[in-house]
Amino acid sequence: MVNRTNLPFSGNMSFKLKIGIDTGGTFTDLVAFDEETKKTIIIKLPSSPDDPSEAVIEVIKCLRKKSKKELSLIVHASTLGTNLFLGQIGLNIPKGALVTTSGFRDVLEIGRQRRAELYNPFFERKKPLIERNLRFTVNERVNFKGKVLKSIDEKEVIDLGRKIRKEGVKTIAISFLHSYVNSENEVRVKDILKKELPDKVIVSSHEVDPEYREYERTSTTVINSLLVPVVSRYLEMIKKRLKKLGVDVPIYMMQSNGGLATVDEVSKIPVTTIESGPATGVTASAYWAKMIGVENILSFDMGGTTAKAGAVINGVPQMVSEYEVGGKVHSGRIVKGSGYSVRSPFIDLAEVSGGGGTIAWVDQGDFLRVGPLSAGADPGPACYGRWGANPTVTDANLILGRLGKKGLSGGEIELFKELAENSLKEKIAEPLGLSLVEAANGIIEVVNNHMTRALRLVSIERGHDPRDFSMLAFGGAGPMHAPFLADELAIKKIFIPPSPGVFSALGLLLSDFRHDLMRSVMKEASKINRSTLKEIFEKLESEAFRILKKEGFRSDRIILERKLSLRYLGQSYELLVSASKNLEGTFDLFHIRHQETYGYAERSEPVEVVNAHLVAIGQIKKPELKKEVLRSTSPSSKALIEKRSVYFDDTGWKKTPVFSRHFLYSGNQINGPAILE
Amino acid sequence: MKIDPVTVEVIRNALNYTAEEMGIALKNSAYSHNIKERMDHSCAIFDPSGNLLAQAEHIPVHLGSLPWGAKNVLRYLEKNKESWEKEDMVMVNDPYVIGTHLNDLSLIKPIFFDERLIGFCINKAHHVDVGGQSPGSISTDATSLFQEGVVIPPVKLISRGKMNQNLLEDFIKKVRNPKTTKGDLRAQIASNNLGVKRIIELANRKGDDILSLAFTDIISYGEKRMRERLKIIPEGIYRAEDCLEDIGDSDSLTWIRVTLKRDEDLLSVSFKGTDPEVNSPFNAVFGVTLSSTYFAIKSIVDPEAPMNEGVLKPIKAFAPEGSLVNPKRPAPVSGGNLETSQRIVDTVFKALSQALLNLVPAASHGSMNNVIVGGFDPLRKRKWVFYETIGGGSGARHRKDGVDGISCNMTNTMNTPIEAIEQYYPMLFLEYELRTGTHGKGIWNGGCGIRRAWTLTGPSAEVTVLGERHKIPPWGVAGGKPGELGAYWVKKEGGKKEKIKSKTTLSLKKGDTLIIETPGGGGFGDLKESKKPNYD
Repeated sequence: MVNRTNLPFSGNMSFKLKIGIDTGGTFTDLVAFDEETKKTIIIKLPSSPDDPSEAVIEVIKCLRKKSKKELSLIVHASTLGTNLFLGQIGLNIPKGALVTTSGFRDVLEIGRQRRAELYNPFFERKKPLIERNLRFTVNERVNFKGKVLKSIDEKEVIDLGRKIRKEGVKTIAISFLHSYVNSENEVRVKDILKKELPDKVIVSSHEVDPEYREYERTSTTVINSLLVPVVSRYLEMIKKRLKKLGVDVPIYMMQSNGGLATVDEVSKIPVTTIESGPATGVTASAYWAKMIGVENILSFDMGGTTAKAGAVINGVPQMVSEYEVGGKVHSGRIVKGSGYSVRSPFIDLAEVSGGGGTIAWVDQGDFLRVGPLSAGADPGPACYGRWGANPTVTDANLILGRLGKKGLSGGEIELFKELAENSLKEKIAEPLGLSLVEAANGIIEVVNNHMTRALRLVSIERGHDPRDFSMLAFGGAGPMHAPFLADELAIKKIFIPPSPGVFSALGLLLSDFRHDLMRSVMKEASKINRSTLKEIFEKLESEAFRILKKEGFRSDRIILERKLSLRYLGQSYELLVSASKNLEGTFDLFHIRHQETYGYAERSEPVEVVNAHLVAIGQIKKPELKKEVLRSTSPSSKALIEKRSVYFDDTGWKKTPVFSRHFLYSGNQINGPAILE
Repeated sequence: MKIDPVTVEVIRNALNYTAEEMGIALKNSAYSHNIKERMDHSCAIFDPSGNLLAQAEHIPVHLGSLPWGAKNVLRYLEKNKESWEKEDMVMVNDPYVIGTHLNDLSLIKPIFFDERLIGFCINKAHHVDVGGQSPGSISTDATSLFQEGVVIPPVKLISRGKMNQNLLEDFIKKVRNPKTTKGDLRAQIASNNLGVKRIIELANRKGDDILSLAFTDIISYGEKRMRERLKIIPEGIYRAEDCLEDIGDSDSLTWIRVTLKRDEDLLSVSFKGTDPEVNSPFNAVFGVTLSSTYFAIKSIVDPEAPMNEGVLKPIKAFAPEGSLVNPKRPAPVSGGNLETSQRIVDTVFKALSQALLNLVPAASHGSMNNVIVGGFDPLRKRKWVFYETIGGGSGARHRKDGVDGISCNMTNTMNTPIEAIEQYYPMLFLEYELRTGTHGKGIWNGGCGIRRAWTLTGPSAEVTVLGERHKIPPWGVAGGKPGELGAYWVKKEGGKKEKIKSKTTLSLKKGDTLIIETPGGGGFGDLKESKKPNYD
């Protein structure tokens, strides 16, 4: 089913262009929304991994050729953070130093002590982001209650500053044990080092991630410190180049929590932007769901290399508090210990290798495998006709008639069916003793299998039944595979947005500002002093107001939500619960959530308050949507392009009508099977 | 009838995902630190004859012993004329039946489709305490299985959907933290229920006859692949020995000896010549010996192979009854699972290294460095027990140094964050660092060990340590030097640092400090050789 609505913008007084730019692994997408005509302009160019800002400038130059209208703002999502730690060529991790508590110099390197691969005797641990000779210690100690056992000796730190100066580092991260309860020692050391090394980026752990678990906090702080110079330089570069083009508009960045922030804020805590690209798709799905009056939606984004699934429940994208950057993904989950730990709110995503370019192959035991390797844009699928190509998911779709010859990028890339057939025959069908169609169908079935898995991860494994969801499918290949996945999961409705290939870039224009603030509490419920808790929240709130006001929001556009993370005393993982006026109510909610999530609640057990969280939202003015008028149920004759032989698993080859979506209108009904192009 | 490889692959993936989903459900709903933080549990799916079909990659020592254990349980019930019914759940922890040690409690649920038994879901989880003479049910001096905790033979905890309350209460009464045990058991039940539900859904979609055919194919593909891969071992006989320290009489070495023989597409592994069982808890039940052997061989020969019964079939293992690696009931076994399992891997690696020098690492630190500590905490007004294992250096590999401070071979549990420990227990940590320079030197170096030290801040506590490689260091390969020995120390308040035994129980007073130094991994290749050897 195709849902067609007007684009979600209403006019602003000044008729200008609002721009969303989403930098992905393969392409950089731009969506410009014209506030006067309510129309969008779409541009897709190859990304420039060596210097991602180049492609950003290129898409804007391209836009200038299509429209001379003034720009009003740019919202941007990038994969800079992810790529930096994945060892992307052209991006260098800056040289940094770490200062920790004496005796704990190697916490950053040992991590959680676990190897990422069970059976591989050649396993490796990722190289620590800061080598041992640049990890320094200070004689200091705070205990778990926040009592200072050893205070700072100023002379020791001054000497340390001189030592660090000789190393020529750009950044310094400070992380002391239990600084989340008492940051006194971290503050002191930062002050002294600032005086000694005024030109360095200095970041302390209580500013970035004031929560217990020393490895995760230290790692997050180090990653943040290393990102500061990289992200600042990147954003400055974009600003400078834009100025040359005569463009001087505010730039907002998407964060991993699905909310925007100004360049100033992001430059201070860039760790919040690491997964900004994928987060956008889910945020956009949440907005879309609200527009069409759907509460629960699974977002399904399938591109060239990977497929990503996210869940929106009661209009809210689901979040996780931890992530590993640069890590390996194994059937949808990041393998614990394979990357660098980052604690910050992330939109919950399951990612599997399943894209148009994902390669099919036969393994030693004669199993048909699909992925994890991808043919990327070059050489691309076998049907592109480039040298050295392998059979891919796109080739299988072409053979089965699901893709037309002019199928990709609106006909810009020509597809050669014969090449797809030859490649599949030689590399899959013959070795397995299958017919060509069986092989192609098999590839689709296996890749759908992987992608169903991703959708299961964000729904079933989080305790939600996929049958209670609708699906929103986008990305270059998402809409084509969605019906089969929905069938497997018994999902009844699928929505496809217009221009699904640039849906994430569009999503950038639909997002609010958001900041997540947090303080450690760490007290048993019965011993908690209510006024202390009130004080903590009020402090967080005034901080949130300060940030959002600086970003230009009036008080009436600011929404604050208090939350507490709670657990039963003795447990090690917490549940995040909205804080109601009285604490009893909050604890009650916790028991209920625990019952829902884990299948039981222990009301007689003491509850512990771990952290106080504040979600601060700055609301962007959202357009009032015009509903499109329903037209006749039968599509116009112009819509039907051809009848094509298409293979379906249950019916075999079938003459199937192919419609052009550009001539389909609101209210049109089509009985399947059918292809919408 | 034959089914196509695509259907087999789809079903194989679905089984793997189900096993993983079972693992997540178990972890999320469990109560103990040990399962939630350290993930000391495993899940797997079996066919009606007890053949392994799929597993989630959790703890190697659990997983490798389950195929042996599952078949033992089936035999046991058959002998007792018990039949499988819908909605049954069998509970067992007898290591002589299901493998590993008493702490690891297994639950087995049959999968019925249209009144037909089509397979089993099994999960295993380490319970912090299952009764017995010492807290944590792991000691250094038990002389019989019955001192190590409650022994449960295969019994129906749930019979046709009805919980056997008497059985449950009787077991719960005998453990030290009944609430946690109950919580973890509840999580295990939920995990199996979920697994069975998923397989039935799969059978509904694909048909149970197709499912059964796919099961057969999955195993025969696995077998075919392994038989092919085993041929990378040159035909011949390879022998090796390695030892454990102070597990028999004090100041003694106890030897494990192995003979590998590759013949056509089979590999036989014989532990003939291994020393007899000991009168301390370091005996490894045959299930543990099997899992260590499978782990070592699969890691070297085909680490990527999807794990199932077929992969194990071409490996024929034998261990003489009454030996350290196949003891007779009721020899105690709690530490066999922890330390002896590590040494079996070392021994098999050592033999394999003669055949496949460039594929086998030098010896890793070779211990789990177990620390179990407990007492009464007046500040928090409660009794406490804390258990952790500490990593060390991994062995050097051809063209690659070893990894510093990490869990090796038969374990892969995580550390507990120091900031979490200090919140809950009367301990103040002084150090958690790499022991630089403890790596075995070579052309490629081994990994370094770890130093971890803490001071007791409560009035008193009892500590049990269980370690290895304090006398005989982790060996190097091809002229590489051994890694440095491990050492444990106690520093009494105001006193001097004194070395303690690798396996001992002692009392600490307020202000006393325990220092654990774990061994480094062995090196690879002789640095001194004038001409660099060609290892390609």
